[in-house]
Amino acid sequence: MNAAAARAAADPALVEVDGLTIDFWSNERWANVVNSVTFSLGRGEALGLVGESGCGKTTTALALLGFQRPGSRIRAGAIRFAGRDVARLSRRELQKLRGRRASLVPQNPATALSPGMRIGAQLIETMAVHRVGGSHRERERRALGLISQVRLPDPQRTAAKYPHQLSGGQQQRVVIAMALACDPELVVLDEPTTGLDVTTQAQILDLLRRLRDEVGMAMVYVTHNLGVVASICDRIGVMYAGDLVEDAPVAELFQAPRHPYTRGLIAAVPTIAAPHRNRAVTLRGLLRRDQLPPGCRFAPRCDFAEAACFEEPQTLLPVAERHAVACRRVDEIDRLAAGGDTADGAAPLRPAVAGDGLLDVIDLAVTYDRRARLSLARRPPTAIVRDITFDVRPRETFSLVGESGSGKSTIARTVGGLLRPLAGQLTFEGRDIAATVDSRSKKLRREIQLVLQNPDASLNPRQRVQEIVGRPLELFFGLRGKARRAEIEKLLEDVRLEGAFAGRYPDELSGGERQRVAIARALAARPKLMLCDEILSALDVSVQSDIVELLLALQDEHGLAYLFISHDLAVVRALSHRVGVLYLGELCEVGTAEQVYAPPYHPYTHMLLSAVPEIEGETVLSPAIRTDPGVASSRPQSACPFADRCPWKVGPVCDEIAPPWREAGGGHVLRCHLPLDELMRRAEDSALGVGAVEAVGADPSP
Amino acid sequence: MILRLIAQRLAAAVATLLVVSALVFFFTSVLPGDIAERVLGHESTAQQRELFRERMHLDRPVYDRYASWVGGVFRGDFGRSLVSDETVTSTIASSARNTLFLSLFAFALYLPVTLVLATLGALFRGKPIDSLISVITLVGLSIPDFVLGTLLIFGFAVKLSLAPALSIVNPGDGFFTRLHETVLPAVTLMVAMAVYAIRMLRDNLIDVLDSEYVRMATLKGVPRWRVVFRHALPNAIGPALNVTALNLTYLIGGVVVVETVFSYPGLGKMLVDSISVRDVPVVEAAALLASGVYILANLAADVLAMLANPRLRTT
Amino acid sequence: MATTALAVSAPTRRAGVRRFLRRFTLSARVAAVVLLLYGLIALTGPLWAPYSPFATGSVPFGGGSWTHLFGTDILGRDVFSRVVYGTRNVLYLSLTSTLLALLVGGAIGLASGLVGGWVDELLMRAFETIISIPLLVLALLAIAAAGPKLAGSSLLLILVVLLVYAPRIARMARTVAVDLVTRDYVTVARARGESVASIVWRELTPNAAGVLLVEFGVRAGYAPILISSLGFLGFGAQPPSPEWGLMISENRVAIVTAPLSVLAPAGALAVLVISLNLVTDGVARVLGRSVTRTP
Repeated sequence: MNAAAARAAADPALVEVDGLTIDFWSNERWANVVNSVTFSLGRGEALGLVGESGCGKTTTALALLGFQRPGSRIRAGAIRFAGRDVARLSRRELQKLRGRRASLVPQNPATALSPGMRIGAQLIETMAVHRVGGSHRERERRALGLISQVRLPDPQRTAAKYPHQLSGGQQQRVVIAMALACDPELVVLDEPTTGLDVTTQAQILDLLRRLRDEVGMAMVYVTHNLGVVASICDRIGVMYAGDLVEDAPVAELFQAPRHPYTRGLIAAVPTIAAPHRNRAVTLRGLLRRDQLPPGCRFAPRCDFAEAACFEEPQTLLPVAERHAVACRRVDEIDRLAAGGDTADGAAPLRPAVAGDGLLDVIDLAVTYDRRARLSLARRPPTAIVRDITFDVRPRETFSLVGESGSGKSTIARTVGGLLRPLAGQLTFEGRDIAATVDSRSKKLRREIQLVLQNPDASLNPRQRVQEIVGRPLELFFGLRGKARRAEIEKLLEDVRLEGAFAGRYPDELSGGERQRVAIARALAARPKLMLCDEILSALDVSVQSDIVELLLALQDEHGLAYLFISHDLAVVRALSHRVGVLYLGELCEVGTAEQVYAPPYHPYTHMLLSAVPEIEGETVLSPAIRTDPGVASSRPQSACPFADRCPWKVGPVCDEIAPPWREAGGGHVLRCHLPLDELMRRAEDSALGVGAVEAVGADPSP
Repeated sequence: MILRLIAQRLAAAVATLLVVSALVFFFTSVLPGDIAERVLGHESTAQQRELFRERMHLDRPVYDRYASWVGGVFRGDFGRSLVSDETVTSTIASSARNTLFLSLFAFALYLPVTLVLATLGALFRGKPIDSLISVITLVGLSIPDFVLGTLLIFGFAVKLSLAPALSIVNPGDGFFTRLHETVLPAVTLMVAMAVYAIRMLRDNLIDVLDSEYVRMATLKGVPRWRVVFRHALPNAIGPALNVTALNLTYLIGGVVVVETVFSYPGLGKMLVDSISVRDVPVVEAAALLASGVYILANLAADVLAMLANPRLRTT
Repeated sequence: MATTALAVSAPTRRAGVRRFLRRFTLSARVAAVVLLLYGLIALTGPLWAPYSPFATGSVPFGGGSWTHLFGTDILGRDVFSRVVYGTRNVLYLSLTSTLLALLVGGAIGLASGLVGGWVDELLMRAFETIISIPLLVLALLAIAAAGPKLAGSSLLLILVVLLVYAPRIARMARTVAVDLVTRDYVTVARARGESVASIVWRELTPNAAGVLLVEFGVRAGYAPILISSLGFLGFGAQPPSPEWGLMISENRVAIVTAPLSVLAPAGALAVLVISLNLVTDGVARVLGRSVTRTP
């Protein structure tokens, strides 16, 4: 990586973006999306464009390929690719540029591949339209070569397949191969790993790193995930509300961020190494698009803003070699901030809560196979989850972590009464509870509440906030009129929303605000247990940290227990007392957060932790990452689910016999055929540094 | 895998047809109350009605009558006409042939017109040609087919004398004579179907043109013509088949009305006539035939769409 | 990843009626005015129509004149008056039957989609079967089944249109419901133990209203065609009723000598249906939805 960057510094720039300004036509007027963005990219250099939703990073990146969304216009500025302004190219010239000299890896590989064409044909097509490769035979050869280059197995067979026959990770590799087919000078990647599992993401990032070493193309990598960008880019451009606010080499950006927004953003990213970051440096407030000042767009949220900041538009000014910041007070901020940057923000990890379980889940098994439940099936039904046993104690946060297909949402919905279990028992406060909502008592329905993932779909778009929050009050407590209104106001206050929100509709709220309303709705029933199913996944990083704060506060104030479902290991560590790790429908490991994130690890936990791209430190991937996940139904029901991918596999015993539960002390249990001291040794050998207890006190920001 | 899907669809179609036959039977033979009186009229004597009931086996229970009717259908025996006392099959045969000819003619006109206009509308969306097509189709679907047929008669047959006003075909007529005699009703039917199909197909094509993989192909540098032909159109076959099958209902319904307007001796006119005279067996046969054709056409369209979809062709 | 790339402030609901009305296209506005005119004619027609629709005094197939604006028909009746009287017939039948079909079909479809399971399967197969009988054929069968005594009665026509339309609207409503049911707010409502009726009313209907409104418009636009087709074939309103389809059928023998006797009702019908369709398109555009005219 460094060699390429050094080369880039010497060469003339491949891409020069100069004062680019783009507007979108929306609601009968032009709204600005990209505001006077300027940067350059050298040959072989990898630039990461980061920012939160709506900051304009994708629009900017796609503009490099001359792509303009219908209903958009380039109001000012230029994008020069190898000296020529992309926006002024004729359609033919643009067609010759795209795919040949500059190509795209889009976000969703499944929809990007033509469903009716075989993989090989699509690769060959890219070469054929650009006359690369001379003859059809030559292109076929090259296509097979590309398929191997992206580490897909059995090139001949893969080339003959249709896109739907490949998994998401495999499809993304194909799209990458297509982007490289004509040896482009620039590859633009638009959030290519969003929507992929953590481990699949790690595979793709690994592949991209290797390809950069092999091919040396320039890259523009658009993402909202700072950890990803840290592991793959040379430089980072941070965007906010259409402005490019900071442009710096990777290491420098994370060690010494200068722009107030960058500082806040980095502080908001939860990491496994230091789950409770310095709370003094936070991003307060929200981006309000209709209230942007003519000057610095970040000013309304900036702790260091002065009157002049609101008036004068900021330009990028160099503060160090190859490091530019768009802030007029950048030098003073260093001095001012130094004072507040004390390392006492790191709160200790939460100890386990003592006492009997509020919710006991015993040997739970659930299946989606409807015919099986009618007991007409000839074969035993394939359970999506099995042998699930855990408990959630009062006032405790118990998290279930796992990737897609692990069954964590299934468990949450079963506890919530929306799915009937195939086997096992659910107990609440010591009493057995009925399987489905219809047969449960009103009290129980009240005491277990559900908060779901998607802020777009979690609130009825045709109801005002007061109706949404008021309905449970009406249903469970019979509140009406003034009493109801008063209670609604109190609930909104609890979730830190102003009373004025009561009269608003969901489409007038931001994602974070909608989630707060969803939480208020759950809170209205005065529950004892809240089931939170991936409630943070669809939110921006800075908003996530606010909601985490809110959840912690509510737990204290209202004595709530949470069953928290997530795939984000860092957030889970920040929030949980105890954690359960799921793989393909089975629990691998259960313990306190401290125990699970420290050795001894279950081999899957180990792989998962190593796959998370962190802001600091080198990532050392577990070799298991290179393998693809299996499918729940394809293995015998008695064996270890992780057996076919496990790098520490003992032998045939792992395929045939269910691994025993081993106690590591203090309630920490994990299932593995390997004994604990062996697991401990393997963990230490792998140099996986995350989660070690010593890391907690060290706060990375200077 | 796909064979299983096709078999399932086939089974579903057969089941639907059976239930439809029960419905048709219900409407014609079960509901009407005293069939004897209705068919023979008020002036009939009690004796005549009694004879009639015996002949029609009306004393037997409903399911028995239904079963024998369905059994007959399988053998190709639809009973005898109450009016002419000939077998329904022979009565219907020539009408069915005529309607088939007319429908195929109309369909042959419909295909190119719809494909071309829908594609133009989709490729040039928002431009004047698209707006023009949109206006014409909207006016077209707002005019009932009997009005259109009448106007065509007025314009082409009477004023311009280009085509006959009444489409009375004789069995001995040659192919081109037939074409000339049926051109006006065929055009009317074509319009009845096309105005809906053009709009639906245009929307479907736009969906395909807007899809991510088409955008991606453009971003890969594939020239526009190739994007349309290699990426967009193949994925539009399924929707196109679907659109056609759905709009057949307008063809079938249109046949009834249009044949009446033009006095064309086809199945539609036969249906109308037999309902007027309450010739129950003929009504049953015609209604069942119409539904059968529709169900079959939809089945064919579904199966073809399945075959065209690579997701279903392979595992 | 977080939601919309451009989280602009939503158009506030306090924008006012005037701005809302301005979002309709010119054609939609003109069509709406035309519809209001038709409504006015339907309501007040009998008060000012020059002749009774049944009065047969004049010379048959007389051309347009000052005494008979649209001429006379086969029995010497005034065509203009008959067209005016026919307006109330067609509007009343079309709107009433389509509205009933919307209420019945919509409720059943939404509930079926929500409940799912075998109930949904059964209902939908039943509706699909009815839909497998081509529109007009089913209408004719139903009329035939009703017997001669009910011929031409408004109640029969309304029921026939209801029979033909309700399954189609139910199918559309069910499709919408199945999609809505996957939304989290419906899941949360279920987890609260709300009843089916409560969920259909509170959560589904407000969100399905847009689609159903457009569907209503599409069906209401075809209803006059269906009704007049039946009249043309002789199975709808019976003579001497001033029904437009019937009028066209009666007078088309003389289309050469007295074209107005055919063109007047035909024109009135066409203008009505065009206006209905334009208004439907306009409303759909304002709601941000597409119009699918599935048969």
